[in-house]
Amino acid sequence: MNLQAYVGRRVLVLPLMILGITLLTFVLSHAVPSDPVAANLGDQAAADPQAVAAFKHRWGLDRSLPEQYLVYLGNLVRGDMGVSITTHQPVLKDLSQHLPATIELATAAMLLSLVFGIPLGIVSAVRRDTVIDQIGRGGSLIGVSMPVFWLGLVALFVFYARLGWAPSAGQLSPRLTLPPFATGFVVIDALLAGQAGVAVDALSHLTLPALVLASSAVGIITRMMRGSMLEVLGEDYVRTARAKGLAPRRVTVRHAARNALLPVITVIGLSFGGLLSGAVVTETVFAWPGLGSYAFQSATSLDFPAIMGVGIVVATVYILVNLLVDIAYAIVDPRIRMG
Amino acid sequence: MATDATLRPAAKRRGVFSGAVPKSFVRSPLAIASIVVVAGWLAVAAASPVIAPYGPLAQDIVGRLAPPGPAHWFGTDPLGRDILSRVLYGARLSIPVGVAAVGLAVVLGTLIGSTAGVAGGIVDEAIMRLTDLMLAFPTVILAMIISAALGAGIRNAIIAIMVAWWPTYARFARGLVLGARDREYVEAARAVGASPLRVFIRHVLLNILSPIVILSTLDVGRAILTFASLSFLGLGPPPQIPEWGSEIAAGRDYLDQWWIATFPGLAILTLVIALNVVGDSLRDALDPRLRKA
Repeated sequence: MNLQAYVGRRVLVLPLMILGITLLTFVLSHAVPSDPVAANLGDQAAADPQAVAAFKHRWGLDRSLPEQYLVYLGNLVRGDMGVSITTHQPVLKDLSQHLPATIELATAAMLLSLVFGIPLGIVSAVRRDTVIDQIGRGGSLIGVSMPVFWLGLVALFVFYARLGWAPSAGQLSPRLTLPPFATGFVVIDALLAGQAGVAVDALSHLTLPALVLASSAVGIITRMMRGSMLEVLGEDYVRTARAKGLAPRRVTVRHAARNALLPVITVIGLSFGGLLSGAVVTETVFAWPGLGSYAFQSATSLDFPAIMGVGIVVATVYILVNLLVDIAYAIVDPRIRMG
Repeated sequence: MATDATLRPAAKRRGVFSGAVPKSFVRSPLAIASIVVVAGWLAVAAASPVIAPYGPLAQDIVGRLAPPGPAHWFGTDPLGRDILSRVLYGARLSIPVGVAAVGLAVVLGTLIGSTAGVAGGIVDEAIMRLTDLMLAFPTVILAMIISAALGAGIRNAIIAIMVAWWPTYARFARGLVLGARDREYVEAARAVGASPLRVFIRHVLLNILSPIVILSTLDVGRAILTFASLSFLGLGPPPQIPEWGSEIAAGRDYLDQWWIATFPGLAILTLVIALNVVGDSLRDALDPRLRKA
């Protein structure tokens, strides 16, 4: 199978996956024993028969289940995810306001975990069973075992409250205003608007939460890179390269690490799901105005339309990221396309 | 040590592993230290009413927010409750919840996954696509959806973790069933006229159980972490119940009183590290393929 066919097939399946996600969220929202009318309208409006009838008609609750799903789907396609009970805004509008901040935080954390995790994994494998390896393995063990919300609080206490190195929680210092909306990523928007000061401030606010969020992904990527590297170091072509008399550094980087990176690419996509989960708790600690804070606020106030919207968006983002990762993998490793 | 005791029968049944398991497992000092830590926490969970210096709800309003000292080794929280006592009592909740959540997810996932593997065809396809979809939802988000629908609470947090995790076990069990169902001993059982149900339970299911049990021990630590995250977010037990995640949440508004959040966090950290090491060592000891790595 050539690359175009592989990508084409994967992209064709995408709408089906997203359709499946909507079906799953629909089933979840209808399998729960709560009353959707009361849950969506709140007690006051639920006492008004007219509002109840209008609500039931809008969401097709007066029809059969398969019909209800079609109505739900029709509303979704038109971008109608309902109205949030807590913010009284359309859920879609809320989501589009909160999504960029989460993507910004998760991307920064992913980059940090790659920057730290890959070299650490390589060094751990090359210097196997030395002190460096032990430290690397211990660090990644602690990384995956640490409650991320606790690490966030400890980091805030040490670097903000005690040392004063990090700014307080939030996306930007209170004295500054957000740059004009372009991408939704505050750092990039500020740079686009030529506001270097705002960009630096936003970056300094991003650093601590991103480091905290990266802590578990670093552990996963270090472990994966170390394991993959150990496997590659035993290969014949590495022995050949060494036998040719190439410098050890060149063998490690050009011959071993490049090939060992391949399996790590797939972990990037899979651990993105963990990052999104971690983002929820990290955001609540750092008052980061992303989807996690929004999900937290909706879940604790039983704001069902909002939390369903978060579910659909996050699952879709996760599927898209994994699609991109798989395509990248197929580009660098032609064997995948044969499967 | 409960872990050792549960291992032995399995080792005896599967001749390949007998002897090798305890030896290579006991050789690692880190694994032994971790077993001691886990056993210590189990003992704490069992004995907390006896060893805790105060009751988990006993309040000393005058002594609220006291730093660690002789009267309160870990200090007191905003309501004047003894943090050491609440941390000790917290083990009574977190450990059983972690085990229960993983156990339920394993049972549900194994049943569904092995059904898929045995049935094959359209049933298999449908179940596997469903697991694909479920796995697209990050655990905490899915758990938040479920908790939002059912309400906060310990039971619903366990249900949430179970619903989020069964697909992983289902896929694992299906793979194992596919590997086991065409083995010679299964064919032999069929040939001597054993009923399909008997073949499935005695010859397929029993043989895939031990890898599943090993995988699940690896996950108890993760389940404890996830439960703590849910309680931190307010989706766990009500605040008066001593629980590590919600105790850390209580420290969020008192950054300068570092002891409120620090000690429950250290409790989670030590227990989860120890559980992860035990799980890793178990897997290394039982899976010779991984041992070289």
